[in-house]
Amino acid sequence: MTLVDDLQAILGPDRVLSHPLELLVYAKDAGVTPGEAVAAVLPETTQEVSACLRVAARHGVPVVARGTGTGLSGGAVPDEPALLVVMTRVDPAWEIDAASRCAWVGAGALNLDVSRGIEGLGMHFAPDPSSQAACTIGGNVGTNAGGPHCLAEGTTVVHVLGVEMVTASGDVVVLGSAAPDPIGLDLRGVVVGSEGTLGIVTRVLVKLTENPPAVRTLLLTFDSLRAAAATVSATIAAGIVPAALEMMDQPMVIAVEAFIHADLPVDAAAVLIAEVVGLDEGVDAEAATIERIAVEQGATSVRVAGDDAERELLWKARKNAFGAVAQAAPNYYLHDTVVPRTALADVVTQIYEIAERFELEMMNVFHAGDGNLHPLVAYDAREPGKAEQVQAAAEEMVRVSVAAGGSLTGEHGIGLEKRDLMGLVFSPVDLDAQARLRDAFDPDGLMNPGKILPRGARCYDYGMSALPESEPS
Amino acid sequence: MMLHQEMARLAKGLVSDPVAGAPDADITLAPTSAEDAASVLGFAAEHSLPVRFWGGGTHQGMGYPVVADILMSTHRMSSIVDWQVDDLTVTVQPGVLIADLEGELQQRRQTAVLQEVPGQSTVGGAVAAGLSGWRRLRYGPTRDRALEVRLATGDGRLIRGGGRLVKNVTGYDLPRLATGSFGSLGLITEMCLKLWPLPPEHAMVPVQDAERALALAYRPLALIETNAGATLYLSGSREELEAQAERVGGDLVSGHRWPQPLVGAVEATLRVPPSAVAQLVEKLRAAGIDFQAAHGVGEIRLVGSLGELAELRDTVEATGGALVIGKIPKGADFDPWGKPPEGIDLQRRVKAAFDPRSVANPGILPGGI
Repeated sequence: MTLVDDLQAILGPDRVLSHPLELLVYAKDAGVTPGEAVAAVLPETTQEVSACLRVAARHGVPVVARGTGTGLSGGAVPDEPALLVVMTRVDPAWEIDAASRCAWVGAGALNLDVSRGIEGLGMHFAPDPSSQAACTIGGNVGTNAGGPHCLAEGTTVVHVLGVEMVTASGDVVVLGSAAPDPIGLDLRGVVVGSEGTLGIVTRVLVKLTENPPAVRTLLLTFDSLRAAAATVSATIAAGIVPAALEMMDQPMVIAVEAFIHADLPVDAAAVLIAEVVGLDEGVDAEAATIERIAVEQGATSVRVAGDDAERELLWKARKNAFGAVAQAAPNYYLHDTVVPRTALADVVTQIYEIAERFELEMMNVFHAGDGNLHPLVAYDAREPGKAEQVQAAAEEMVRVSVAAGGSLTGEHGIGLEKRDLMGLVFSPVDLDAQARLRDAFDPDGLMNPGKILPRGARCYDYGMSALPESEPS
Repeated sequence: MMLHQEMARLAKGLVSDPVAGAPDADITLAPTSAEDAASVLGFAAEHSLPVRFWGGGTHQGMGYPVVADILMSTHRMSSIVDWQVDDLTVTVQPGVLIADLEGELQQRRQTAVLQEVPGQSTVGGAVAAGLSGWRRLRYGPTRDRALEVRLATGDGRLIRGGGRLVKNVTGYDLPRLATGSFGSLGLITEMCLKLWPLPPEHAMVPVQDAERALALAYRPLALIETNAGATLYLSGSREELEAQAERVGGDLVSGHRWPQPLVGAVEATLRVPPSAVAQLVEKLRAAGIDFQAAHGVGEIRLVGSLGELAELRDTVEATGGALVIGKIPKGADFDPWGKPPEGIDLQRRVKAAFDPRSVANPGILPGGI
């Protein structure tokens, strides 16, 4: 029996895809690198996922889980020909425990659908990546996804209390619970952000966050990017952690304004969108403090969203930034690095210099409040040598972020994109430790191989050869 | 004795007098650096000598008893390494006392949100035991503030995971894994924690109906119910505090008075889904058991008899939670963890990835891992 025969025996012929043309669409994500699949399956239940993984293990075929493919780092793109497990149909009936403010939802549920589904309870699911209308909760778990409102609320891992996961051998295990601090090691915390390398998450126990009674959204305009960055640092230093603190530079504002028409100041060098939430009695004071800091740092104008409609328009502008860029150039490369918030202005300046040196058209829209940079390079891949140039600039941007005390990725994940850069932030011993952790979950290395860790991460065998004196450095 | 001499020779400067309150061990070592700690662990692994880690000794009653040849104390690793005031992060060695750290942070109106009541507890101990203090309803568990960890593994490697950044998804989340690992992976030699700004004012509101107050208040710090009654803990501007008091219909009392630790021969914590708290509180009150319950969180600290605890454990485990022993008389026949979690083989393999010879607090975790 071939792999496809065995899979069809479980799922029937309609939910096992093996024609090269059918596979083409599944073997890539929203990033730039395509992959290759041997087959794709569309399971609907945990049991079906488990059965497919047992078949894959028997055939020794690597397995890659994917949701809707909105990822940007190649986390769901096979590094070698693999079985793709498409999780979008795994969405059993939710179990909502309103009193404990949590709910079990399927990995295939869409991020925004979860928040919409519990709207009536006055709660929402806090992580809000720009792709939230299209991305799945399972994908959010895989990448430990972020979003503008993760500044105060934390990324996905903070909002996932438990996961149901199918291991490489096909076993189903529940890690974590609605009770605080489940006993034993926190394997849930390791699984979130593991990009499908430890198993396939089929159901997720999400934490639900109370909607704030009041929201104030400010649009701050600056005539230099440095002044905007300084406002971010000064706000945090003043003891305010806003719900969101987002920055856009002029090229991005122009692109977005042409697309969304939100009456954005297209002549400004940079804009900040700041949002504070809380009680009516508190938000005005916090908004006033941010306004004062911004003016001290040289803000040229301050606009407070007058109503929900205006607020929604500002967020629509922010979250559609990438769609707007699609109009400007056939291809774009969206970076994701993170730096200490205090280093923001310096690193952004260096990133501009890099773009200039490589003669690239760059725009910036990023989560300034937590130091998460998203330089975006618009280009035409048909232009000879351009893609290579974009790639080389990308690596330099990562390097200046790391040199400033930052790291490779704040929310998109390592995937294929940054796997080979892991050595910039971790020593061989650190990487080896991560490889051993990975192997503890998946000894045969069949779960999304080639992701997160660079090849050769295992620098020595298990055992006692690892005394500090003899460690490679 | 032979071992003692050999260790003493190898680890000359590290030998310490026995630490007050610590159990007997052949030798007590107090490393001054991560490298020293790793060397000792490497030696211990090579010779299969179990090592027990010791901070302030305030939570050593948790977990299965560890019989160790070496006691490793963190009291000589007690520096604040790097405090990025404007970035709201602090990096510390494990032996720093929580009271000292919070005192320091308070100077600049910041907090690591560690436990509220002063004592001998160390930051390393609190992180290793996964303790979160009372304010977690507002600020979440300590685990969510563990940004970077350096670990001397059970086989003597010195590794780092995470980064000194408030947002970061680079590599597997070792800081979260190390939090609450009870030394089973090795010794945490350094950690970076996310800080929160301290709001300008603090106040409490005594309330009649805890669950009702929880539903009405907007993100309070804590809602703690004891045998004496329920109290809402708040912080913010004066206007916010007054608005909160009005929402719940109670009177503001300035400042915070946190419950003092419950002390008894048997101390335990119930960890249950928040929706199970009200019913358990009723049960505890009826049984005359001293308790401190964190509504909205699902943590109930208590003192009681082993008989009472045995009965409670069944109720708690039926909710999907756990009854965790904090202290118990030596030799008492009572499981400190109760029913092990799912995926115990996975837990065992993960421990082995860091501590293949099982010398780092061996057997302390559920399942005797």
